[in-house]
Amino acid sequence: MRMNFQYIGKSFERTDGYAKVTGAAQYVADLKLPRMLHAQILRPEFAHARIQSVDTSEAERSEGVVKVVTGKDCPIYFSAAGFYDQRPLAVDKVRHGGEPVAAVVADTLDHARKAVPKIKVAYDPLPVVLDPVEAARNKAVLIHERLGEYRHLGHYFPEPGTNIFHHYRLRKGDIGAGFKEAEVSVEGEFEFSLSAHSAMEPHGAICRWEGKDRVEIWASTQAPFAVQQTVAEMFELPHAHVRVHVLYLGGGFGGKSDVTIEPMVACVARAVPGYAVRYICSRKEVMTSTVLGRGMKARARLGARKDGIFTAFQAELYFSDGAYGDAATNIVTVAGHNCVGPYAIEHCHVDSYGVYTNTPPVGAYRGYGHPEGCFISERLVDMMARRLRLSPLELRRKNFLCEGRRNSLGETIRDHNGDLFRCLQNVEKEFFSRPKPEEDERYLYGRGVASMMKSPKGAPNASSCCQIKFCSDGSVHVNLGGIEMGQGAQQAMRQIAAEALRIPLDRVSVYREVDTQHSPWEWQTVASMFTYRGGNAILKTAEEAIRVLKENAATVLGVVAGGLEYDGESVFLKTDPDRKVAVKDLARGYMYGNGLTVGEVAEATAGDRLPGYVEPDPKFGMGTAGGTWTFGCQGCELRVDKKTGEVIIDQFISSFDVGRVISPQMIRGQIVGGVVMGVGQTLKEKIEFSEQGKMTNATWVRYKMPRIHDIPKKQMIILAETPEQRGPFGARCVAEHPMVAVAPTIVNALYDATGHDFFRLPVLAEDILEVLK
Amino acid sequence: MSEWITLTVNGARRTVPYVAKKSLLDILREALDLTGAKEGCGYGACGSCTVVVNGEAVKACTLRGKEKLNGIEVLTIEGLADPEGSLHPIQEAFLRAGAVQCGFCTPGFIMRLYALFKNKPGATEEEIKVALSENLCRCTGYEAIWEAALLAQKLMKGRPFPERGS
Repeated sequence: MRMNFQYIGKSFERTDGYAKVTGAAQYVADLKLPRMLHAQILRPEFAHARIQSVDTSEAERSEGVVKVVTGKDCPIYFSAAGFYDQRPLAVDKVRHGGEPVAAVVADTLDHARKAVPKIKVAYDPLPVVLDPVEAARNKAVLIHERLGEYRHLGHYFPEPGTNIFHHYRLRKGDIGAGFKEAEVSVEGEFEFSLSAHSAMEPHGAICRWEGKDRVEIWASTQAPFAVQQTVAEMFELPHAHVRVHVLYLGGGFGGKSDVTIEPMVACVARAVPGYAVRYICSRKEVMTSTVLGRGMKARARLGARKDGIFTAFQAELYFSDGAYGDAATNIVTVAGHNCVGPYAIEHCHVDSYGVYTNTPPVGAYRGYGHPEGCFISERLVDMMARRLRLSPLELRRKNFLCEGRRNSLGETIRDHNGDLFRCLQNVEKEFFSRPKPEEDERYLYGRGVASMMKSPKGAPNASSCCQIKFCSDGSVHVNLGGIEMGQGAQQAMRQIAAEALRIPLDRVSVYREVDTQHSPWEWQTVASMFTYRGGNAILKTAEEAIRVLKENAATVLGVVAGGLEYDGESVFLKTDPDRKVAVKDLARGYMYGNGLTVGEVAEATAGDRLPGYVEPDPKFGMGTAGGTWTFGCQGCELRVDKKTGEVIIDQFISSFDVGRVISPQMIRGQIVGGVVMGVGQTLKEKIEFSEQGKMTNATWVRYKMPRIHDIPKKQMIILAETPEQRGPFGARCVAEHPMVAVAPTIVNALYDATGHDFFRLPVLAEDILEVLK
Repeated sequence: MSEWITLTVNGARRTVPYVAKKSLLDILREALDLTGAKEGCGYGACGSCTVVVNGEAVKACTLRGKEKLNGIEVLTIEGLADPEGSLHPIQEAFLRAGAVQCGFCTPGFIMRLYALFKNKPGATEEEIKVALSENLCRCTGYEAIWEAALLAQKLMKGRPFPERGS
């Protein structure tokens, strides 16, 4: 593997930096189109009710109103993940308080807003179910009576006649034998509240139909090609006739990877062809009417021998996935096979249930089921260490996944998958080599550690594709479909391309916008996969583009291409470097003095996907479904204020095996930001509902996110770099990962400080005060 | 009959129709096409719409009413680089410190710091922190923004504050 990198492993100014610090960067809400109309949405008064009638006549007469659209106008089921249980607007029933019931289209936003309350809807309220365990058992109140009729992919397992829309089973080994072998066991009941991604940019979409056959959408999405496919399927259009544009995205965190408002906006705009219909969610609507994250109740038990070897793991997970299941199905699966933690455990038995509740649907949220699972495994491991009187670090080391050991899916881990021991050692050296501060008058002190793993979950054919084209001055366009949402996708691609093509960074122009018409296919920008997959796509494409340049040069120089070398500026003879042709003269074929042109245009395209990646086996839930992993460990040192219950994190350390650092600045951005998001999730953030299912804190005043005063006093990052066998330059995925183990790290430290085991997130100051009493 | 109000925006006098209940943010974004200030929440919780009004940082989504809007002097993120496009030291510091990720909160943070440092070039760390606590960021975890603020202060130390908008 090459070691002398010019652009890899260094930080450069972001490609999008100048535009973003000057206010020039354009997001969907900044876009104005000719003949633009504005949509506003009516939301229901009830979280669960039959719709008896909708009267739009008064709204239609309201000033400036062009059209009022209801669910009856587009009673189509749509899906992005393969579970067709959702319609763009409610038709006969509302299932959560944020659901769209009707849409007003007007000439101005104000006119649209004024007309919404004029729509009259008669509801027949139904009982509301909010708790996933209760909903799973309640056969009297069914949120989807026709669950058994919904079309779905073969690896989802709904249980018709119940509220369970997906049941993932993991059956590895013989759980009875595993617990028989165990000499000790620990167990717990866990709760992970629903939370809001809260990307700073609200969701928005602008949609314009050309007649009924072609449609163009500008959307705040991490998944333009998924929007394209979903909308095309809805209206039975050739997919190619749906064009989706993505400008800059103001944060995603998974909340913009699921198809949410776009089908509705497409339905609404279809009623006024030729006009662009703009709909931007209010902050409240982002919280009530797109997707939420997490929302789990679980019971789990870990068994071990006295020497500390884990023998059995059993868990039952219930996810309050809201009114629709499409966006949550895979999270249920992933949480199921990852909640065992990064350990080799012979006997695993997990039931993970996706349950309908009368709350907004749950979708991808940074970590995708892993933070939920990691909370379970890492708390149990800490409890087990106490039971066995072993150091929690030692206990982890005894059971870590490593070369030759098999994970819960039955996959064998290899050295190149990463080094958990190294990550833990980094945390240990920094933290546990000095004594913890003694309790004083005001504070209790605690330290905790947790380990994590994350694998991607996506369509098995998920790919990233790349297109490279040389300009006639030898500079180069590099085009991919990965969405820049803050993570630095464009800059990572630029550095990888510069390295692969050996062209200076300032002569590499990477794409800014993504557009399904012009961008190469990208499944979705999710699962932390883009640097890995997109990077590989660049390497393959660069190789192909260089091949064309060499073929062209071979013709000109009268030699075979195999004897030629390329250095970014020219193609030359290996044996006689003075015999060369400049790349700029080869870019569009080679033109002789008289205009005669030979050779091919130096444009190339290629893609990359994880090889051999499959859905879990239906019977055992096992198989090559992990694809690739990133392992890591985190630790923290905190103080608890005995008077207020407030938690102050003095130090937080993260160590991930990232394979190869592409940009130190961007990795740091992902880790520091992910940890703070995790701190919010652990100590502050919780979506709340009234008994009637009304969200009671759907504002950023009541929903508390970390501000600058809430962050750890100090964050440390120590990375391991065990090259990944097929990652670009050895790089591995790292983006969601920093958030995965934050909750158990902090909660384990809270035990150390208070002597109390917390099982419910978030842990609020009042919860801590309660146990200190 | 529409009413009109006049504002000075980034050094230029602008007259726009006054519409009741429209905020300064609406006027900037809709009437003046200055979309650098962003709406993250619409009620002053996130600070993405922060601009400088009469020398002070203001959340533009909360400023409404004819009397409050007429005659004010506004500086937005679009007015911060010099006319040739060279960045203000605060903008420069954000790039160097890696304080920009999705960019949606960035203009608000930069304008918040502009007002702070213009009025108090030697602001203490606690004063900087208090100022920054008005704004939300969901990407960076604030550390790099904090470093950018300190770096900006350092870059401007010992020379006149680069004032804009006049």
